[in-house]
Amino acid sequence: MTAAQPAATMSGRYQRAFTVAVVFLVVGWHIAGAGGQLLRDRSAYSSFAFQGAMWLAMALAIAAGSIMVLRGAPGWRAAWTVALIALVASTAAAAASPAGQMLALNWAWGSAGWAGVLVLLRRRFTELACFLAAEALANLGVLLWEGMHRTDLAGFLALLAWSTGAQVAVAAGVRALDVAAGQAAAAVRNEHAARERAATAEIIRAARQARWLTLQESAAPLIAELAAGTADPGDALVRNRCAVQAARLRRLLAEGDEVPGSLVHELHASADVAERRGVSVEIETAGSLPQLPVPARRVITDAAIAILTAARSQARITLAAVTAGIAVSFVADTGAVVGLPAAGAGVAIEQQQDGGMLWAEARWNSQ
Amino acid sequence: MEQPVTVVIVEDHPVVTEGVASWIRADSGRPVRLVQTARDLAWLRADPRPPADVVILDLELSGELVTARIPSLVDAGYRVVAFSGHTDPDIVMEALDNGAHAYVSKEEGRDHLVEAVLAAAADRPYVTRSQARAILADQRPSRPALSEQERQALLLWFQGMSKASVGVRMSISENTVRQYISRARAKYAATGRTAPSKDALLARAIEDGVIKPGEIVPYKSLAHQGRPGLGDPGQ
Repeated sequence: MTAAQPAATMSGRYQRAFTVAVVFLVVGWHIAGAGGQLLRDRSAYSSFAFQGAMWLAMALAIAAGSIMVLRGAPGWRAAWTVALIALVASTAAAAASPAGQMLALNWAWGSAGWAGVLVLLRRRFTELACFLAAEALANLGVLLWEGMHRTDLAGFLALLAWSTGAQVAVAAGVRALDVAAGQAAAAVRNEHAARERAATAEIIRAARQARWLTLQESAAPLIAELAAGTADPGDALVRNRCAVQAARLRRLLAEGDEVPGSLVHELHASADVAERRGVSVEIETAGSLPQLPVPARRVITDAAIAILTAARSQARITLAAVTAGIAVSFVADTGAVVGLPAAGAGVAIEQQQDGGMLWAEARWNSQ
Repeated sequence: MEQPVTVVIVEDHPVVTEGVASWIRADSGRPVRLVQTARDLAWLRADPRPPADVVILDLELSGELVTARIPSLVDAGYRVVAFSGHTDPDIVMEALDNGAHAYVSKEEGRDHLVEAVLAAAADRPYVTRSQARAILADQRPSRPALSEQERQALLLWFQGMSKASVGVRMSISENTVRQYISRARAKYAATGRTAPSKDALLARAIEDGVIKPGEIVPYKSLAHQGRPGLGDPGQ
């Protein structure tokens, strides 16, 4: 699992929880708050049926808005369609209230405002502000149309402060929580990245340690012998040991380079020493080769080093994709059978001597 | 004395032409005669065209890949041995699909070119290691089905063993090794686009007993690949 993934889902989870809370709030308000008021005052309306129809229209708009925000952020067209339906329904309901009683009997202002909060919550704040202002102006327009008194203005301002204030507070609160969730997610992401970096550093350190140990076992004693003069560079056997160790050193360096086709890369490194000795080495591949684990690669390159060190003038190395694995073969004029390293790590080794030519094949099976 | 095999070399590097000519001369035991050398394919428009059995064709002339010109050579009655510095399996396969008899990479030239020319003149298959490699790497849906034995013989041959050593390894005779490899090659002559050279190779393989008519997979044209509507089950 990547580090960014849990952080992103965490932030997404919080945002969704806030959305669900707002949906509950808005639906709850429309049913209990607005619906309750509508039923309580039913005898006061000149046409209860019309008010009921407007309440239903508003309920449908809120239902559609809820589905949209729960499915993801709605586009501006969809969001504003819902908002405008709510605005029109609430204005119609207000206009149809008995004259002089509009403020007292108005159930729709609050619902329309909440519907706007619901669909415009995660859009630019100015859009919500515009909507709430339009809603307030529509109600003020209805009041003016019916002939406004001084007491009406006070009532209007009180209602505006209470209803719009609560709506703005909720919208601002959700916005702040969104930001906090994003920051928490970023913190988690940073922590994951730091932990991953530390783990990678540890793997690299362990690999270096292992390489150092390998050299301690093989190359270091030889260098010590050469330095002490107990090993004679004129001795063919000592030269052979030097060639093998030189090839191993090259391979160890190549192992650090995690490139695609690591095995081919390491075989080239192993061939380098033989080529300097004047052996012509060709390396060919057939098919798309699988990636091998390091232990398997090491068994194969050890075999390559043994064969290339014994080769007199020419060697051919091929890598072919075979069913469920890879066949790495060597054909070289070694003149005799070569002592090959033990098979292991999923690699089986076979060889055949024919005249002066040696054929050997290391087959790695992924299963 | 049998008729010598006549050869045209098409190669844009005079040094390489000279080298190939010297291989032909050095193989004095073989009845091969060089009748013409050319640096491009303009001579194909000449009338009359030079009579020759085999054209050794460098696949890259003046920096341009000429695999698509192989059919025009084949239709004019020449057998084509592709001789190229490229070893990319896709190019090898394209050359064979276009009707080349054999594919010899420039590194393999000294050991295999004259042999390949003689085999081509007799319409017999000749499979170089670079050709074996391309066949082993072939993953196209239209590739012919090879038997386990044919595949193993091709693999060991590609790995660099002599055919005699392949025989020892597989516990079969050297002749059977040749038969397996030739059969794999003949199967390729039965796939892809049609060409008189491929028909001739196949007919000769059947005549020689390398392959039985029943072993030939049904013809499937590669030319249909990439055409719109191939994916339609109705097509």
